[in-house]
Amino acid sequence: MASTHVSSAASITGRRRTRSVLAPLALLLVLGAAWEAFARLRDIDPIILPAPSDVASSMWTDRSLLLEGLGRTTSIVLGGILIAAILGIALGAALHRSPTARRAVEPLLVGSQAVPIPVLAPLLVIWLGFGLTPQLVLVVIVAFFPVAVATRDALAGLSPETDLVLRNLGATGSQRLRLVELRGALPGIVTGLRLAVVFAVIGAVFADSTGSSATTAADPTSSGGLGRIVQDAIPQLATDRAFAAIALLAALALLLFWSLGAAERRLDPSPHSPLRTP
Amino acid sequence: MILLRTSSRTLATFALCGALTTAVASCGEMEEPVGGVKTRDAVTLVLDYFPNANHAAIYAAQASGAFERAGLDVTIQPPNDASTPLKVLEAGQADFVVSYEPEILLARDKGAKIQGVQALVQSPLTSVVSLPKNPVRTAADFKGTTIGTSGLAYQAAYLETILAEGQVDPKSVKRVDLGFNLTQPLIASRVDASLGAFWNYEAIELERQKKKPITVKVEDLGVPTYNELVLTATEDTVAKRGPVVRRFVQAIGFGAKAVQENPAAGIDPIMAASKGLDRGLQEASLKATLPVMFPEDDAHPFGWMDTTAWANYARWMESKDLITNSRVAARAITNEYLAGEGVGDKTDS
Repeated sequence: MASTHVSSAASITGRRRTRSVLAPLALLLVLGAAWEAFARLRDIDPIILPAPSDVASSMWTDRSLLLEGLGRTTSIVLGGILIAAILGIALGAALHRSPTARRAVEPLLVGSQAVPIPVLAPLLVIWLGFGLTPQLVLVVIVAFFPVAVATRDALAGLSPETDLVLRNLGATGSQRLRLVELRGALPGIVTGLRLAVVFAVIGAVFADSTGSSATTAADPTSSGGLGRIVQDAIPQLATDRAFAAIALLAALALLLFWSLGAAERRLDPSPHSPLRTP
Repeated sequence: MILLRTSSRTLATFALCGALTTAVASCGEMEEPVGGVKTRDAVTLVLDYFPNANHAAIYAAQASGAFERAGLDVTIQPPNDASTPLKVLEAGQADFVVSYEPEILLARDKGAKIQGVQALVQSPLTSVVSLPKNPVRTAADFKGTTIGTSGLAYQAAYLETILAEGQVDPKSVKRVDLGFNLTQPLIASRVDASLGAFWNYEAIELERQKKKPITVKVEDLGVPTYNELVLTATEDTVAKRGPVVRRFVQAIGFGAKAVQENPAAGIDPIMAASKGLDRGLQEASLKATLPVMFPEDDAHPFGWMDTTAWANYARWMESKDLITNSRVAARAITNEYLAGEGVGDKTDS
């Protein structure tokens, strides 16, 4: 009796999961088919608008190049996100703690986000030289803002009663932060991180154009990330390859976005945590 | 390859070149192996664009060991974007950069202490490209057209000069800025012709794609000739690290000869350095470019810059209010370090 109950519940979840995978896939297929039909029927030059089939075939022919680019971009995104998460959470917590700091830093923080990345990228190279540093800095700049804001808001949204109880129990500031606040704010922080990974992917594309890797006599090969592949493909009129690289960028952003969502559900099984105000 | 590689925002920062390694008085002519050099001088070269056929001489010098034999440890760095090589140079992040004659003159006019030390491509690569639907073959053909340009001030000035040459009323021509993407709008018939694409790159790829492009070089439409690609250093580097400059430019000269004899000597390392490239395009591009890599007059070494032509181009720039004083051309270049040029060449070896 109990076992049938469990299995039927499992099958409902299973069906729901299948549906959650099928729905976006179906939409993607419909959009892809419409695009393909448009490109074929109007006989559009693939240099102007490659059909999805052109993009898929370039994805296959250029697979080793694209995979290498994907690997490089992924490592820059992950490295940048890691630093951005640490900085963002620390800054968010600090802003939550000190209203003065918040008033002082917030305008700078918001202002920093209005600086256009394409303007910033060449300047970073002039200041920091070529190599990995300007690339990571660029990703961190675009990615840490949503983390900091989400952390601050999540901390501010925690129930003040819990805080009061803990204070009365004699918990120190760092104990409260570690034991209760960060744990309660985690879902909010993860939401910030999910936004941050999408920004980080865009940042990594621009970062690519700040420091395409150098070659030396000892190491005569170089490889860029996906951003570099796009930039290289356009003047060679290989628009299909540019689109293939863009599709991979989108897939990377989506994968990171989903993984963080899954991690969030795992870390926070109960959406009705007593730590949060309703 | 257009705007990305030529886009200009010019510079005001101060020259400060990293005097990296002090070493070793000299080493002989390029062709001779230099056994005695133990410590190599580190040299960073920032290109004008991602590695491509225009850089064949540089990559051939690297791959053939010419840099090593010259006692140089060269790092070849593609640029972050084409607007910055000269700024990177002035900021001391590079010892040499590949730039363009117009950019060098603009920078000199703004007070930047930089100098061209070797022309890598003798003539303009900038061209006007159109398709058979709306062919633009002469300056007079510009009448009533829509022309896509990359948005660079000096390329807009080319258009003015061309229209004057063809006695075309400027009001009949519509100019649109397309940024670095000059070819796609042409194929899509958004423009009748584009000004700024390179005849040895985009035009060749269009040819390979059977689009039958009509390509006219800007110097055939009344624009004064200039050196499209020029190896550039700060005056400070030229003054203080003369032997390094000499060995570097002569090693590149050696690479140029190697490429002339066997194009694969340059294409192979370029393909390794930039894996996204189409070998067929690079080979076709190099074949087309080789004749303009070397000076017309055989008496001059590879890299020679014609002072009269530079002065002439600078005067044109001044007439178009692009620069304030055409006399900047005089100090903008030095042929001193090329093979067989300058007193130092004899004393140094």
